[in-house]
Amino acid sequence: MDKQYRIVFSALLGAAVFAFWMWLFPQALNYQEQNQLFLFTWDYFRQRMALPGGLADWLSEGLVQFYYIRWAGALVLALLAVLLQLATWKAAGEKRSMYAFSFIPPLLMLVYMGDVEVLASYPVALLMAVSLCPLFQKAGWHRLWMIPLGWWLLGPVMAVPVLLSVLKSRKWADLAMLAWMAVTFYAEYRLLAAQYPFRDALFGLNYYRLVESLPPLQVIIPAVTVLCILLCALPQRLNRPLAVEGALCLLLAAGTWFGVKRTYEKDTYEVLAYDWLIRHEQYQKVLYRAERYQPRNPVSACSVNFCLFTQGQLESRLTEFYQCGTGGLVLPAIRDNLSDITSAELLWMMGMPNITLQYSFDLQESIQNGRKSGRFLSRMAECNIVNGWYPRAHKYLDMLEHSLFYRRWAREKKALLKDEALVAKDPVYGYIRSVRFKDDFITSYDGLDLMMAVLYNQNNNNFMAAEYYKAWQRLKQMEGGK
Amino acid sequence: MRRLIPFIAAALLAAACTGSTIRMEELPDIYPDYIGVTIPAGIAPMDFNIPEEYDRVFVRVTGSKGGELKVRGKWASFPVKKWHKLTRQNAGGTLSFTVLGRKDGVWTQWRDFIMYVSDVPLTDYGLTYRKMAPGYTTYSQIGIYQRDLHSFREDPIILSTLTPGQCMGCHTANATDPRQFLFHLRGPHGATCFQKDGVREWVTTKTDSTIGNVAYCYWHPEGRWMAGSINPVRQSFWTGDQRIIEVFDLASDLVVMDTEDHSLIVDPRFTTKDYLETSPAFTPDGKTLYFCKAKAFEVPRQVDSIRYDLVRASFDAAAGVLGDIETVIPASAQGKSISFPRPSYDGRWLMYNKADFSVFPIDHKEADLWLMDLESGESRPIDEVNSPYSESFHNWSSNSRWFLFSSRRGDGLYVQVYLSSIDENGHCTKPFVLPQKNPRKYYHDTLYSFNVPDFTKEKVEFRTSGTHREVFSDQRIKATVKE
Repeated sequence: MDKQYRIVFSALLGAAVFAFWMWLFPQALNYQEQNQLFLFTWDYFRQRMALPGGLADWLSEGLVQFYYIRWAGALVLALLAVLLQLATWKAAGEKRSMYAFSFIPPLLMLVYMGDVEVLASYPVALLMAVSLCPLFQKAGWHRLWMIPLGWWLLGPVMAVPVLLSVLKSRKWADLAMLAWMAVTFYAEYRLLAAQYPFRDALFGLNYYRLVESLPPLQVIIPAVTVLCILLCALPQRLNRPLAVEGALCLLLAAGTWFGVKRTYEKDTYEVLAYDWLIRHEQYQKVLYRAERYQPRNPVSACSVNFCLFTQGQLESRLTEFYQCGTGGLVLPAIRDNLSDITSAELLWMMGMPNITLQYSFDLQESIQNGRKSGRFLSRMAECNIVNGWYPRAHKYLDMLEHSLFYRRWAREKKALLKDEALVAKDPVYGYIRSVRFKDDFITSYDGLDLMMAVLYNQNNNNFMAAEYYKAWQRLKQMEGGK
Repeated sequence: MRRLIPFIAAALLAAACTGSTIRMEELPDIYPDYIGVTIPAGIAPMDFNIPEEYDRVFVRVTGSKGGELKVRGKWASFPVKKWHKLTRQNAGGTLSFTVLGRKDGVWTQWRDFIMYVSDVPLTDYGLTYRKMAPGYTTYSQIGIYQRDLHSFREDPIILSTLTPGQCMGCHTANATDPRQFLFHLRGPHGATCFQKDGVREWVTTKTDSTIGNVAYCYWHPEGRWMAGSINPVRQSFWTGDQRIIEVFDLASDLVVMDTEDHSLIVDPRFTTKDYLETSPAFTPDGKTLYFCKAKAFEVPRQVDSIRYDLVRASFDAAAGVLGDIETVIPASAQGKSISFPRPSYDGRWLMYNKADFSVFPIDHKEADLWLMDLESGESRPIDEVNSPYSESFHNWSSNSRWFLFSSRRGDGLYVQVYLSSIDENGHCTKPFVLPQKNPRKYYHDTLYSFNVPDFTKEKVEFRTSGTHREVFSDQRIKATVKE
């Protein structure tokens, strides 16, 4: 394929991937961003580098922080896809011919990333490993130190250049490299990752958010990438190569669409979209989506009900949408990193900062790979400010100050903490202090409606507590009616 | 000319230090507050920070028995070997600290302060503790760590990353001896890990006759028996701005386990429904078992009515028989609640917590440490170490002349470990927080609390290889009830 066609096809890939994240699934960007907090500190870098795959992990988190801005996130992923495609093509060597095969790794990656728990460190590590292939094949005995170094920096995808090298050369000496790779891996496991299960270390500690999970594609994609590099290098014997490659590209596009349909689970993405829109206070858009399709689960019900409230429609349109009893109005404490976000938000607005703090803390601690969250940490800081627990608020704000996108906000809040009068005057914190419980008592989810009643009786301006109390009673009646 | 350079530099430094130095009568505002504390010789360097507006600090430490150490930098950071030499040289004496801080190019010198170096050594290797995010119900990463007290070295013993999905409970050694210890895992693959002389076994301590697995444990000094309370723990949360969480037991019983045949002594007097029994601790002679006992109330509604007395029962280690229960301190009658009794290993003292109610003092600001003289039976609050914040879990060093405790005095939430010494008459010294390199940064940045701290005589040896397989295999030794 001529160079200009190659440029066109690569640009098309970039544009398609950009559009995919920008307009089809932007909620995934929000989800990824809120499950990590990249800090510009030496300690943060050191912590990441302490594990195999650390550099890829650190770089990827540095990139994922840009998901905070939708177009920047889409651009990052588009660039990653194009670079992976180009790296695959380049790894095929000088006598390469089948350009279409180089599109398979990024497209397969796009399909795999439908699983929202796939971390960006996986494509980043793979990209770096594939980029290393040309150098690795020429490195001679230097490969002996490149293997352990690569494993430390990138993780197990370092096997890609090693396998490619072995398959290309088919020499006994190269086969010995596989044994060397096994030895160095085990040594690094004992040195750096002894506090992790062996299997997790073998297949990557930071490629997937959920612990003790190994999606098949995590193993398949590197293997396919090696295969694609070899296929790209096949000698050209076609009469009409452009037509064949064009047809191959179309086939790949169709396959990708089919794969995306399978892996991008509709209900999950709908719930993620609600969360994303609520974060940006686009409540009307949530209702617009829910009118067309609403997942039948409590998280969705809670989000839609909250948006109904914000539009003053909680009473009038409650029954128009899916309901699942009072559990769909405010969720109980659930140990995951998504379900309770809207509940935490609405309880904060209603004047229950302590439950919001509990939910936000648990949401953050439910991020299975132990990462912190800018979004949840910000809310925790705010709950501490409302409670007058300033040293703790300071701790969180100082941490956020080391991030890129939460820095300005954290500085503003820190300035506030210097003067108690400013905190009291702050429209949000002052309001929450004015409507919160005057008495100290133990909360109970089962008695949440009574707590709402107490809030309203304390302060009749707290119409949110009244609205939610009424909705709670209505849903309770509906539950009883069933 | 080269020979003159040091003299010229010294002259310039002297001019700089005398000419533009502001002298203050106040003591320096150092973090942590190490002014007037008593430390053991050979402890990790007591690094400290001065207020952040000072960009540089100069510290000269002078020993009353000789020796001197000078450091300068962004914080006072003492080299380990020189610090050890200085503290050992001054055991039984004092260290005088001259502190200068630089702000906007101007040096300020504060009044010198003193640190006392005890002539009683702290012979233990270090500490063990669990680190976890403090607060609520979910924890992404928990770990049991050991810290060398003579340096800043911290090593993980076991982290939750090795056993994903399992909560990790208290690490309990036998009177600070790590050759014999246990810890719990809670979750779908939960068990209690017993390790004796390097051999470990995973035991399910729940039986048909008991209400759950044992939680708070204490080894009998002979090593065969282990007392444990069974506590189905729950948490509730407060609405106000004074406290966050209330931890309570739905029920609570006390058993003694024979770790040789894994059988439990389930005595009906210690497993009553109407009363809650918890926090057991054997005396060093092994003949008495102290624990806490309270009348049960409906929880969480009446949680503030639950108040524990300090009680004890005799224990016959040869026969494995518990004696009658005797109330030692009827705290409930005084409107107070006792938890975590810990006899010193020399049998002289018993330290415990006292709060307004409940058995989980960590979330009670009013919780303080108390000391009972086991000879006279008299108790007193340890005002030398208590603070307006919660003081909670505590333990003795192997020679019983040092103790550590958890406190939330730092920022009201994140628990730190404090150490203090005690003399023959029961007087305690001003406590100091566990030293860290660049302590303000360490304690400010950490999102972990230090839980269940204890001394450890030697370094804990725990093999991580095979642990994951053993935990997830679910092959367990099942405890039985002793006939």
